[in-house]
Amino acid sequence: MVAAAQHPNITLYTYSQVESVGGYIGNFEVTIKKKAKYVDYTKCTGCGLCETKCAKKKVPSEFDAFMGPRTAIYKPFAQAVPNKPVIDNKACKKLLENKCGVCEKVCPAGAINFEDQDELITEKFGAIVMATGFDLIDWGKAYGEYGGGTIPDVIDGLQFERLVNAGGPTGGKIKRPSDHEIPQTVVFIKCVGSRDVLKAKSYCSRACCMYTAKHAHQVIEKIKGSDVYVFYMDARTPGKMYDEFYMRTREVDGAKYIRGQVSKIFQDGNKLIVRGEDTLVGQSVEVTADMVVVETAMVPRADAIHLAQTVGFSYDKDGWFTEAHPKLRPVETNTGGVFLSGCCQGPKDVPDSVAQASAAAVKVVAMFSKDQMATNPQIASCNEATCVGCLLCKPVCPYKAIEGKEITERVHGENVTRTVASVNSGLCQGCGACTAECRSGSMNLKGFTNLQLLAEVDAACL
Amino acid sequence: MKRIGVFLCWCGSNIGGVVDVPKVAEVVRTFPGVAFVQENKYTCSEPGQVAMVQAIKEHKIDAVVVASCSPRMHLPTFQKAVETAGLNPYMVEMANLREHCAWVHIGEPENATQKAMELVRKAVAKVAKLEPLFESYIPVTKRALVVGGGIAGIQTALDIADSGHQVVIVEKEATIGGRMAQLDKTFPTLDCGA
Amino acid sequence: MSVNEKDSSNWQPTILGFACNWCSYAGADVCGVSRFQHPSTMRVVRVPCSGRVKPEFVLRAFQRGIDGVLVGG
Repeated sequence: MVAAAQHPNITLYTYSQVESVGGYIGNFEVTIKKKAKYVDYTKCTGCGLCETKCAKKKVPSEFDAFMGPRTAIYKPFAQAVPNKPVIDNKACKKLLENKCGVCEKVCPAGAINFEDQDELITEKFGAIVMATGFDLIDWGKAYGEYGGGTIPDVIDGLQFERLVNAGGPTGGKIKRPSDHEIPQTVVFIKCVGSRDVLKAKSYCSRACCMYTAKHAHQVIEKIKGSDVYVFYMDARTPGKMYDEFYMRTREVDGAKYIRGQVSKIFQDGNKLIVRGEDTLVGQSVEVTADMVVVETAMVPRADAIHLAQTVGFSYDKDGWFTEAHPKLRPVETNTGGVFLSGCCQGPKDVPDSVAQASAAAVKVVAMFSKDQMATNPQIASCNEATCVGCLLCKPVCPYKAIEGKEITERVHGENVTRTVASVNSGLCQGCGACTAECRSGSMNLKGFTNLQLLAEVDAACL
Repeated sequence: MKRIGVFLCWCGSNIGGVVDVPKVAEVVRTFPGVAFVQENKYTCSEPGQVAMVQAIKEHKIDAVVVASCSPRMHLPTFQKAVETAGLNPYMVEMANLREHCAWVHIGEPENATQKAMELVRKAVAKVAKLEPLFESYIPVTKRALVVGGGIAGIQTALDIADSGHQVVIVEKEATIGGRMAQLDKTFPTLDCGA
Repeated sequence: MSVNEKDSSNWQPTILGFACNWCSYAGADVCGVSRFQHPSTMRVVRVPCSGRVKPEFVLRAFQRGIDGVLVGG
């Protein structure tokens, strides 16, 4: 993170998002919205005084997976990059009710600016790499039998990560959310939302088998004498040292793996009753637990599809971004100059994400290794001599590649100016929609001309 | 009139096992413009391509039909081959005798052979009208945009930046780091996430 | 072949297909790869997009005696 922030060739636009994309491979024009931070980063020193004085102290922290609070003016976490705060305009009293404003008063650098506005900037890029990552599935809706998200001590894997993290809301002590007691019996349920055609996602989320083994290991390591149960469908552990890690969790740490699914979780006093099935012995089982962790499916970011439409490339039924070829072109999209990195293409673990990230970088660098790039010559061209300038072709072009152009000719010794259609060879993708629309037959598609296709039709109909 | 060369591929037994390729060759010779016909076990193979390049030079062929598999598969291969022989790479057309003929009419060799002739005739007719095409060049802005500042975005950005190009990371949150920064230790080595 | 011919029991219409390179032509390829058998009276013209198909092409095909035209895109 710090390496990226300090690299002389890298510019960070945090708290920003892509608004619109124009242009084409090698020459994109991207409009980026820099959301109002209400903090002038040229003045802010990142001292953090504002955070300690902020009156709003109980905003659920997104970074802590809503397990802990943050303030309205906040850095997501202590080591944030850049290490400077933003003001949440949905929580700040000054911005909502024009009260408080204490951060402005205490800031020694005078960096607070409540007048800050969203800013739109447009910049040119040759390539775009999508690296938008994943969310966890909203499991509560689909799994009412697990409490539907209403039982406080049934948490998801990311919440567990924050519990066990030294920088998290409990300082790294595994305490259950309801009463902050240390749980003695913890149940993990794998494949919640994954590999479930009826209720959620049909695919395997790939990383959960391994991080569940890690979670189980961490509970046993941190809570002496604890009992860990893992309900699983299968253990899929392909990867270097992966199966060894998994077997160590089972055999050395002593996590109890039960092959079968959980049918119900309910609260009984301060305990959770977990009912399921052990399919290996063909019996139903019941575990009395203090905390349950559901290891849920990865899904694309909520705005992934919107973003794919904005940038202009394809995505699959689940919203994962589609690679140009599943085996041979795994980090490219079908849109020239747009590449994929990490989980936005589909669920991955960390090593796979990093490998794909470097692969995407190589594709970009290869593209940048030349000053110019060759374009597909099979594009539309207009015969200006016969074009009547009706421009019916212009609205049907999906790539906005056609414009009207004025040309001046000498007719009977006089200069006459008229409009004709003109094709931008950089934008044209060679679909030929304009040729079908052209009444005068002036618009043609190189490589698939009217004459060539008619010759094919004639030969096929003999 | 163009001198058209037709290269009929057996694709081992994929095409040759259903379509009577020698018979197709015989008929194709009579199509207008066809100056040369050659059969090959595997036209896409190294010897197949060498034979094609030689034939183009020897028989002064100026446009080519390859009757083999799908152009989605091997058109770039044969474009390169004809370019090696000195032709414009866009002077080649393919007749899809495998996916669109042999493989879908396995039980009816006669009909398949008839259809194969018609597919080649169609391709020959188009090739007769082909014109050389030339690629144009557009400038490249050597500056990359990375959307998302998680571990994947950071890694991509660092690699591009290390090779000397400018990179912009756009991150919707107030910090980069993404999911990885939220994680505690990561498997299997249990090193830290942040 | 035509509908008016006497022996219509085994009659198969001759069909000219215009297939988009990126979807239906690829689909026809997959049809081949999965050995999906069908009548041999279909011919496919590859176009870069179904939007490329000028109405004139369809009319010309009928003019030349084709029984049916399929535009896939």
